[in-house]
Amino acid sequence: MSAALRASGVELSFGATPALRGADLTIATGEIVAVMGPSGSGKSTLLHCLAGILVPDAGQILVDGQRIDTLSETRRSELRRDRFGFVFQFGQLVPELTAAENVALPLLLGGVRRKPALQQAREWFDRLGLEGLHGRRSGELSGGQAQRVALARALVGGPQVLFADEPTGALDSITGEQVMELLVSLARDRGTTVVLVTHEARVAAYADREVIVRDGRVTSFDTQEAAA
Amino acid sequence: MIRLGLRMAVAGGRAAVARLAIIGAAVAIGVGLVLAALAGTTAVQRQNAHYGWLNSAHAEAATGPSAADPAWWAFREDYFRGRSIARIDVAVTGPHAPVPPGLSALPGPGEYAVSPALAELLRTTPPDQLSERFPGRRTAVLGRDALASPDLLIAVVGRTPADVAGLRDATQLTRFVSVSPEHCLRCYVGTGINGMALILAVVVAALLFPLLIFIGVATRLSAARREQRLAAMRLVGATPRQVATLATIESMIAATAGTLLGFGLFLLLRPVLAHVPFTGLRFFLDDLELTWPAALLMLFGVPIGAALSARLALRRVRMSPLGVMRRVTPKPPRAWRLLPLIAGLAELTWFVGRKPYTTNGQTAAYLSGILVVMIGVVVAGPWVTMTGSRLLARLARRPAGVIAGRRLADDPRAGFRSISGLALALFVGSVATGVITSYVAERGDSAATPIIHNLMTVTSWSGHGQQPLDQASVPPSLTAVPGVRAVVLIRDNPQIDKNDPNSWPGLISCADLTRIPGSGHCSPGAAAAQVFPNLVPPYGGSVRGGSDPQWPPAPEVPLDRQAVIGVAVDTDGSPAALETSRTLLENAFPQVDGAASEGDIRDDSTRLLRQMQRLADIVIIASLVIAGCSLAVSITGGLNERKRPFAVLRLAGLRLSDLRGVVLLESAVPLLAVSAVAVAAGFVSAALFLKSQLGYELRPPGAGYYAVTGTGLLVSLALIASTMPLLRRLTGPASVRND
Repeated sequence: MSAALRASGVELSFGATPALRGADLTIATGEIVAVMGPSGSGKSTLLHCLAGILVPDAGQILVDGQRIDTLSETRRSELRRDRFGFVFQFGQLVPELTAAENVALPLLLGGVRRKPALQQAREWFDRLGLEGLHGRRSGELSGGQAQRVALARALVGGPQVLFADEPTGALDSITGEQVMELLVSLARDRGTTVVLVTHEARVAAYADREVIVRDGRVTSFDTQEAAA
Repeated sequence: MIRLGLRMAVAGGRAAVARLAIIGAAVAIGVGLVLAALAGTTAVQRQNAHYGWLNSAHAEAATGPSAADPAWWAFREDYFRGRSIARIDVAVTGPHAPVPPGLSALPGPGEYAVSPALAELLRTTPPDQLSERFPGRRTAVLGRDALASPDLLIAVVGRTPADVAGLRDATQLTRFVSVSPEHCLRCYVGTGINGMALILAVVVAALLFPLLIFIGVATRLSAARREQRLAAMRLVGATPRQVATLATIESMIAATAGTLLGFGLFLLLRPVLAHVPFTGLRFFLDDLELTWPAALLMLFGVPIGAALSARLALRRVRMSPLGVMRRVTPKPPRAWRLLPLIAGLAELTWFVGRKPYTTNGQTAAYLSGILVVMIGVVVAGPWVTMTGSRLLARLARRPAGVIAGRRLADDPRAGFRSISGLALALFVGSVATGVITSYVAERGDSAATPIIHNLMTVTSWSGHGQQPLDQASVPPSLTAVPGVRAVVLIRDNPQIDKNDPNSWPGLISCADLTRIPGSGHCSPGAAAAQVFPNLVPPYGGSVRGGSDPQWPPAPEVPLDRQAVIGVAVDTDGSPAALETSRTLLENAFPQVDGAASEGDIRDDSTRLLRQMQRLADIVIIASLVIAGCSLAVSITGGLNERKRPFAVLRLAGLRLSDLRGVVLLESAVPLLAVSAVAVAAGFVSAALFLKSQLGYELRPPGAGYYAVTGTGLLVSLALIASTMPLLRRLTGPASVRND
């Protein structure tokens, strides 16, 4: 299986505080990987580096064999828009836009005209059980609904990799499970690679593989092995 | 992208529309007031320019078209109930005499022309108090071109050439001054270049600067929310350019709407503003106009400035889509910020006892020193705010004080920004008030007696290059005027010793001196005294004694054989008695300067100071209100941006009253700390200037200063308090939800 993402010797510090100290990680195409670890271990920072949000101080990030840590800010933005999708814990929907417009946002940013973009966005509402909610703004949605809208937005452009940072962190357990089931099933249907940062074992259980980040370094072990 | 930006700005739900409306309204207020200040500045300049023709006695200053036949011209100042009347006696020598602005021809003998305000006064005042001063009949009313203000009192009195030629300072002229006194070095009516520069500097420093800060605060309202929103868009792939475009559109829409509304507000304010006597006189509405460059600058400058500000502020978001989540605490201001303030005060201190000899040298020394102190107040502001907030955090016993102190100490620059205009206004106001109060107090001490206002005198003495008065011309009817208590003659002192500071040009019998209460007394054993011709000891002279000066004894000369150089009429101080006496005296002695009380003359000499004081008062009040608005806007914006953490604090058990305390303290601490520093720096600067330039001590300001400053601070605090009701609504449990 080919590697969709590869981090090699990634180091990153915030001022004098090191967050990553030579992290290595390879994720195969279509693989769902859970990144776990205690608070402050660097798991979110690793996700941000993999997604081209942060640029490491040292080491390399490769997407389909192409280095992205040397790309310009604009090119990395385009990469996020065209090949990545994001689901974070909160604060990701634009409150001024309706749910449908939020979902259509990556398409609009990519130059798709408003009408077809909205049409494409609305198709996701039925698929995610959000019927009739496309005209609502984020403040008028429940936590679970908002997270499903975010998931729709992450998937609307057909991303190659989906990054999810504590996607159920702000949800109750039942809603969280519903969101995770949707996320995983849609990813599997579409062959999307998923990088999932979580500290919850039951969320991590949806992944093919878990990696542990501790003190800025990655320790990898197989979920099935761990379960055995 | 533009469409998306427009969509987000104007159709982004109630919150977005409310945000747009608040920013637009705040920008409108700021722009309206800036336009008013700019138009006010233009009006001051235009008003000043209309004084130009009154300076035409200085032929070398005249710049207008030349006429074939010269006209005689004698300018003098007359008074009526505390108001100044510009009286010009004119005489034409031929059919081609020059014509001043506002008239079709100069009045002939037995005719006079007056300004509309004087015409109205003449209509409503008994003739013996005013109109009888002007011989003949009124043939014209001066037109707009001749008038600096609708309140200006001017009389152009036609006489024969022989009559005018005999008047003091009479001159022949063939053309009129057509330039502003601002550009005319020898002009004495109106405000010169230094005065105008001072007025403009005060307006710019104390009004425009705070207003521009206010507009800046308004356009940055909700900027943090916008940055969060745009950072979220960066996460889903918006490029830096796309985000910058969105921010530009959003900020420009609000700023453009606010600017347009601001122009509307200015048009509404304009008639009201015309009635505000910035210079002591109202403006004509057509003087209160914006220049095209100023209008265009505001029209395009504010939206462009808002867009640039938004783009600059986006640097954090541009660096990282997580930018707003990774905001670091700014470095605290360092103590070096006090250096400019100390340097300015040191400069002013250095000149104490080292006063420069030339006027230019003095201007350079004192103005630059005061300017450096002013800059120092602004530079030191964040450090003062931080020090105050740290002190608050250390001393506070309640949570409100601790939270407010810590939050302020984290970013004292932001805390100071919205009140920096206020600091400048208080500094300028304190310098002006300190200097003016002390100057007036020093000048007023030498003879603070009722005769300053009650005694009407007409004088003509050789010291002024004039002929003595004809005793036979003293009108007998003077003593019959109701309210007139005594009429005495001041005679020439033939033995005046110009080298003796205790020798005075006038002589008066001790019997006459005692008839005028407050005019002082003779030296023991003397039968007559040497006096100043209007019986008031001049400033800085050797006569001492406050309200009852002791005049030196007269030389041994027959008093009744000396020429009359002054007639003094003691009145009960009633306006009717004073003005009727003045009219009688002026008609009896038309060849000399108009009759006046010492109070009239002092009012004249302190007019510029009083104008500056008025300007300082207006500036303090206006800038305090502007600062209050800035505070209210920034507090509202801050509350909106911090509603979630505040709501969480409330959920965690912090009482609403404590939360109110946090907000109040966050605003009041910088407001009061910086105000104290600005006021102190202002008075210290004034004291150093007074000591160096005039040798005066600083006098405490009058009640008016405390009233203006105190009211302004209270209004500012009230504006802060007005945002409190928002707190309950914004920090309700619903605000804990994430958008």
